[in-house]
Amino acid sequence: MLNTIKPKGRVIFAYLFIPVALFIFTVFVPLIAALYYGFTDWKGGPVKHFNGIDNYIQLFKDEVFWHSFGNNLYLVVACIIGQIGIAFILVMLVNSKLTKLQGIHRTFGFFPSTISALCVGFVWKMIYDQRTGLINWFLVDVLHKYKGMKNAPIWLGGEAAPIMLILSLPLIWQYIGYYMVIILSAVSSIDTGVLESAEIDGANGFQRALYIVFPLIKNTLFVCVTLCIAGNMKAFDSIYAMTEGGPGTSSMVMALYGYNQSFKSSNLGYGSTISVGIFVLSLAVIGGSQYLLNNFMTDDYDREEKRRQRIKDREARLAMKKRMKGGMS
Amino acid sequence: MKFRKLLAVCLSLAMALQLAACGSSAAPSTAAPESESAETAAAETAEADAEPETVPADEVEAPAAESSASDLAYKGEINFMHYSTSEEAEGNGSSDGFRSCIAAWEEAHPDITLNQDVLANADYKTQIATKAAADDLPDVFLLQGMNTANWAKQGLILDLTDIIASSPDASGYNMDLLVPFTSEGKYYAMPAVSGGTCTVVIYDAAMWKEAGFDSFPTTWADVEKASEYFNEQGIDTIAFGNGGQWQMNSCFLSCFGYQYTGTEWFDHIIAGDGKASFEDEGFVKALEQTKQLFADTKIFNSDFNSVTNEDAREYFIAGDAAAFIGGNWDYSYIAETLKDDAEKIGNMKIAVLPEGSEATNYENMQNNGFGYGLAINAKVADDKDKLDACIDLIEYLAGPSFAEYVGSKYGLGGFYKADFDTSGLNSWDVDLYNYSYVDNKAVAIYDSFLGGDVWNTLNPGLQDLTSGKTDAASLAADTQKAYEAFLAQ
Repeated sequence: MLNTIKPKGRVIFAYLFIPVALFIFTVFVPLIAALYYGFTDWKGGPVKHFNGIDNYIQLFKDEVFWHSFGNNLYLVVACIIGQIGIAFILVMLVNSKLTKLQGIHRTFGFFPSTISALCVGFVWKMIYDQRTGLINWFLVDVLHKYKGMKNAPIWLGGEAAPIMLILSLPLIWQYIGYYMVIILSAVSSIDTGVLESAEIDGANGFQRALYIVFPLIKNTLFVCVTLCIAGNMKAFDSIYAMTEGGPGTSSMVMALYGYNQSFKSSNLGYGSTISVGIFVLSLAVIGGSQYLLNNFMTDDYDREEKRRQRIKDREARLAMKKRMKGGMS
Repeated sequence: MKFRKLLAVCLSLAMALQLAACGSSAAPSTAAPESESAETAAAETAEADAEPETVPADEVEAPAAESSASDLAYKGEINFMHYSTSEEAEGNGSSDGFRSCIAAWEEAHPDITLNQDVLANADYKTQIATKAAADDLPDVFLLQGMNTANWAKQGLILDLTDIIASSPDASGYNMDLLVPFTSEGKYYAMPAVSGGTCTVVIYDAAMWKEAGFDSFPTTWADVEKASEYFNEQGIDTIAFGNGGQWQMNSCFLSCFGYQYTGTEWFDHIIAGDGKASFEDEGFVKALEQTKQLFADTKIFNSDFNSVTNEDAREYFIAGDAAAFIGGNWDYSYIAETLKDDAEKIGNMKIAVLPEGSEATNYENMQNNGFGYGLAINAKVADDKDKLDACIDLIEYLAGPSFAEYVGSKYGLGGFYKADFDTSGLNSWDVDLYNYSYVDNKAVAIYDSFLGGDVWNTLNPGLQDLTSGKTDAASLAADTQKAYEAFLAQ
């Protein structure tokens, strides 16, 4: 009876193979192809020659690429502090008993992350515009800090502020809500009893956030940081919309540089090398950050616990060996 | 049991196929409405402007229809990719002419379906580069001058040398315009669509009169003097937009540079004969002067590196700037916008770039030419009938009908040197015509030549240069390095 209801293994396999095939086609094939193209002098078209590690040598010497990598790291740091930091604070505020209409706060907080990054870029380009932008309108017409829009600061590419800081603000703004929702769900899973007893013990809101909530959702924050790094290592859309990497190459990021090399300069071989570079560097940064976080986020108690566990394991192993020896003799 | 298994397999297959179909059906479905709108756009212009429009169209269409009706054996589809969108055609003469000619050709050849894939220019460049990389170019498309050498070497584009020579209109072709589409002595495209000048100073004569100049100054020193007056008034002297990074090259340096290098220098650069280098004194001097004008004086709008030419020309239109530098497309847009304001359009005048300080080769120059040409996919040569149809199409689109249409309606020139009636032209179109083809020496547009990687080094560098982040000598050295790499290929 049960067998007639349960589908055959092959059927299940056929269904499950569809996403696997899609994954192979959309992720693995391009990855392997890029790896191969990265070793050629492909300029577009059917002709390509294998040129060994020339492209990789060029990549190591390419100042623009390393400058772009630096910009990506800047974005990572700015966004970890900006996105996750602010999201954590907002979650604490939204979760407060004093806050009314929590659902609305959540929804509106999340709203920007549903917009395409390209649109966000275009919107912020308008906000930053020297002659017609919202910021300069506020500075000129409301605060009267400058005489006329022409004398107001040029935000995108001017000397008013570092260009990468200007470009990271829209990114931060867009994704605060995204991390807010993740952190909110982690916080809501904390037993209210813990927080209530802390409150009875006299811990204020700040102390509760730092000593109770923070350690308890540490693993979620871990995931957030990883997502944030991965997201910013491939930053492209909003920067493409706002500055196209300019002025000059001052706001270039790795993905945009790879795109420019591939499609503006038609160096598809070298463009592929750059994308392999992005892959390797992203893995390295994510791996490095995991290592650092693991060390940074485990406190003495955890370490002591781990040490005890190790000793216990070793004793268990020794005991097992002894038993086996005893059995043999 | 059997049935159930069959169903499972069928369903999964259907799902996979559906996904695949989603991808492929997208192209024709977007192409279809585009070609429709091409017809309606042409019909609209015909209605609105019946007199001047129908005369050249009738006159020229006759020979084309005659030859094609008898000769063309091909029945089927031609895939055609270009960037003359219907939005672009409003106010842009060459684009309007191109679309009208496409519609006329389609009508004369009912047996051939023209699958048009029309993208905005910036998207077009990326898309066509991707298609070239995948060896999947459409049958007929617009080739950018800078891609000629590379794509010809890859065997992607058909050698048109003999076809151009044996064309019935060959005697009327302006062969000089073929230079950007020449590789190793062979021609690969017929110049089409966006001809015309790339650098023109558009100014408001009344404003300059107030500043004490009866016409636009002939030296940059005088422009700087005028800028003191304009700055006091709180308006910009000249509006310029280099936010897209190509404008400074195409619409400024590519004309200004010749004042220091002379025209022969660039001929040597194109030829790659080693007699010219980007590190030559003349070119470095031109870069230095460019830096001086943009970074050290207050002539231009301070945000020139973050706004595009489309933004900057609005400053001029709104009266926030006394002049604007751009190409013929900007000129026709500005004229189209101001034409109902009799006073403003009356004050709108044009001038050549003034003389830079210490310029050694100054003349009245403007850079002119065709950035794009109609090319045929090399694979089409396998199908003789189809090839004939494609040749007929490009000869029509680059031939007398196009030249007469854009000439008599907008005062623009084509690949075919047509005699056209200028009586129907607006005074401002006549001005541009004289500026582009009669009064001034024409020089080559830099980025119609060489390869994208050279200009992709120079263009961002120009932004760095004019925002004070680099100096002329090192930018010249970087460009030369990219140029040498290009020659080495």
